[in-house]
Amino acid sequence: MTAPDISEITIPDTVEELLGAEEARPDVPWVVLVWNDPVNTFAYVIFVFQKLFGYSRAKASRLTNQVHFEGKAVVASGAREKCEADVARLHAFGLWATMQKDD
Amino acid sequence: MARAMFRRARGGALVVTLHTQEVELLVMTARDMIAIVEEPPDGDVRDRLYPRAYLDPTEEKAQGEYDALVHGDLVQARRAALAAVADGLEGAAPNSKGLVEVNLTPEEESQWLTALNDARLVIGTALGVTEETDTDYAPGDPRYEYGVLYSWLTQLHFELVELLLDEIGETGSDDPGVIDPSS
Repeated sequence: MTAPDISEITIPDTVEELLGAEEARPDVPWVVLVWNDPVNTFAYVIFVFQKLFGYSRAKASRLTNQVHFEGKAVVASGAREKCEADVARLHAFGLWATMQKDD
Repeated sequence: MARAMFRRARGGALVVTLHTQEVELLVMTARDMIAIVEEPPDGDVRDRLYPRAYLDPTEEKAQGEYDALVHGDLVQARRAALAAVADGLEGAAPNSKGLVEVNLTPEEESQWLTALNDARLVIGTALGVTEETDTDYAPGDPRYEYGVLYSWLTQLHFELVELLLDEIGETGSDDPGVIDPSS
């Protein structure tokens, strides 16, 4: 058998670089956060979570409490494109939403 | 008991009932807000209406792409919602009791919900409201009028949200879409 041709490849300098390439994969999960603010009411935020994500009243209330008392809550997760769409819908409802990689 | 400002008609339409004075105030507010959502002054109001999607400063490229994709539509949706509130009320004549009744389509219903809240976001942010302070400023305080307006908008919005919460009910799909760390 013939040996693989190794003349065309370059080896990453460090293992970290290899791991970095792994992290940059597009299917790495992202999370959508909603942050506390003094204007949006509890009732409105609960309604928006139920309306946009189909959550039960119990789950929407629990997330809203977490936003209020802890300052923020993860309300959805998934691929980057899906999270961008979720953030855009939350912004359209006036909620303070951001997204970041799920560390 | 105060009259209900929002109720669901048997045919399914959402009915808004306001005094002519309230109509004038809401039309004026909605028209004023259009200019602000289109071109908000730099600072807190702008940041609150149009927050970043990405907090991470190394995601500037993604943030730029998000803005290019979303910002124009978001401005347009806000402008259209505020205009729908103002236009719908301006075309309506009061009845003999001085009350204006307007039936909203499903689209207008959603526009009222977000337009009222956008007005609250702008005014509340400009007043610097916090969870600890209320907006009952003394007459003579330069914030007095907007404080009263903010409280009234909050009451109006709250009544609409309560009705919609009743209708949407308690149950959910319970596909969380959130990774449950315990699973």
